[in-house]
Amino acid sequence: MKLLAKTNTYYLIFLVILAPVMIAVDYYLIRYIINDEVNEKLIHESERIKYYLAKEGEIPRSNYLFDLTPMEEASPNLNRFNDTLIFESYAERLIPYRTYEFSAQVGAEKLKVSLRHLLLEMNKLILWLFAATTFILILLATGLFFINHKISNWAWRPFFRNLSKLKAYNVKQKSPVHLEPSGISEFEAFNQVVTTLMNQVEKDFRNLKEFNENISHEMQTPLAIIRNKMVLLLESQNLHEKELQWVQAAYQEVNKLSKIGKSLTLISRIENQEFTRLDSVDFRAIIDNIITNMEEIINFKKLEMTAKLSSVEVKCDPILANILFTNLIKNAIQHNEDGGYIQMLLNEEKFEIENTGPVLRTETTQLFNRFQKDNTATDTLGLGLAINQKICEIYGFQLDYEHDNGKHKFCLMFNEHRKRVQAEGKYNLN
Amino acid sequence: MKILVIEDNTELLHDIQNFLEREGNVCEVAPDYKTAYMKVGIFPYDILVIDITLPDGNGLDIIREIKKENLDVGIIIISAKNALGDKVHGLEIGADDYLTKPFYLPELNARINALYRRKVYHGSKEIVFNEIKIRPEKHEVFVNDRPMTLTKKEFDIIHFFVANKNRLLTKEAIAEHLWGDHIEMADSFKFIYTHLANLRKKIAELGGKDYIKSIYRVGYKFTDQE
Repeated sequence: MKLLAKTNTYYLIFLVILAPVMIAVDYYLIRYIINDEVNEKLIHESERIKYYLAKEGEIPRSNYLFDLTPMEEASPNLNRFNDTLIFESYAERLIPYRTYEFSAQVGAEKLKVSLRHLLLEMNKLILWLFAATTFILILLATGLFFINHKISNWAWRPFFRNLSKLKAYNVKQKSPVHLEPSGISEFEAFNQVVTTLMNQVEKDFRNLKEFNENISHEMQTPLAIIRNKMVLLLESQNLHEKELQWVQAAYQEVNKLSKIGKSLTLISRIENQEFTRLDSVDFRAIIDNIITNMEEIINFKKLEMTAKLSSVEVKCDPILANILFTNLIKNAIQHNEDGGYIQMLLNEEKFEIENTGPVLRTETTQLFNRFQKDNTATDTLGLGLAINQKICEIYGFQLDYEHDNGKHKFCLMFNEHRKRVQAEGKYNLN
Repeated sequence: MKILVIEDNTELLHDIQNFLEREGNVCEVAPDYKTAYMKVGIFPYDILVIDITLPDGNGLDIIREIKKENLDVGIIIISAKNALGDKVHGLEIGADDYLTKPFYLPELNARINALYRRKVYHGSKEIVFNEIKIRPEKHEVFVNDRPMTLTKKEFDIIHFFVANKNRLLTKEAIAEHLWGDHIEMADSFKFIYTHLANLRKKIAELGGKDYIKSIYRVGYKFTDQE
């Protein structure tokens, strides 16, 4: 929820609570004032009548006078205000009046004089009050909303500009982000914190990258030497079987280490965007080539292979395309079972590869992680899909995996990449 | 043939030198740019094995320099960088092949032999090992002058073996030779095992001897020595 929407919601809640309170206060206040006025009028009239009576000896004409009754005994309602409903035949309904009764001596007769004054109809009052209050509140709310909107637009503008800059921020890019000054101290503090964080992240990222590059690069020559020496040891006639076994185990591990190094180097080089060529690569040619290379091992595993490939050209680096498809096809062969199948489909939109294989125990989402492998017993490193993921990232390919009871399917979508290429005319890797 | 190996790590340098000399080559070494530059200026070599990153210079400069005068020399780049810029650039200015460290010495040897044959005999030379004869450019193998029918990988295996005769070839080295770098497959060892059995059978059918020796569990040796 946007901040503005949030504050507006609170305003609205506040108004909804406030409205009945306002109406209630208005109602009682107005009623009190009106009653007070009417009381005053009635008292005033009674005083006038009493005065006239004392002076002239008869009841004067009065608009408020409506009843004169002889008084036999003391009436309890004397000198008190009363609200009463009186049926008016002209209106054919009950109409509220306020009455005031007092006693007066006219000659020998003691009379009860009743005065009355029309009262406002309270139902109507409430209705109108409610309408008026609601109208005012709505006016207030919309006014506030617009003012708020304008103010926040104006005050938050630097914040949003910086936000979009930060959204576009990529730690891999070398260009630093310059945050706009806003003159608002909260935003300035925020900018400062963000800038410090970014610098720290960039520094860490650079260090990590360098470390990765160096370690995977520098270890290759020593590994080559270790490996050569081990082969010499294995060739030596003087070792017993036990010792040969040790050397062999060490040799295998050295090989593994070297492959890890090579794969990690590859990943960091993809991340460093060293593959900048953008040729029109014929994916079918690449896949055909890989299949030819793998053909015999596919036959060896007695896998039934069907490939429906159309000629598809995609702009990318041919070496990366080769690695990408090699990894996918290699996976389909390696994680297959004897007598299984591989199905490939290539068209303008996607490349699909489906194969049989044992059911995975690994979570699908973890499959693309580095060193993630389903079966610890196999000799694989679990870096192939991590490499693929990196390649897909830089080109905007989408790589999905799904499995269904011993059937595994990878789907590689090119659409996003095509859109990017079209949108940018020339695809810029940065 | 005469080979110059330029590599700044002396230990690796001597490994390569020993390996190549055992194959009957004349192998000279240069641990830095200066020595290398001097040597290529004075002596003619058939093959240069060049590491690009040298402490006092860039191996690519040596390639440029030597290509000015001697066009026939075969050049193989070895680099730990695996940087494709280097590879493409290297091949553009006249290198013939590119190997990424760490490479298997038999692989380097096979590449050197193939390159030498291409340069000197334009690929037409046969490789002969006792009764076995290989015509690499046509992918043909003869045993006692009778042709063998081989799959592509079987041919690659026997070619690799003969190029590295009398040497231990580990299963890993064979697998990498057959399928290349970024492929690690558990099935490949089984595949090699099965196809070696096929090869033995096919050679025996044509009256050839069994030269393929299993070495413990690490690999194989193609040898006529006991």
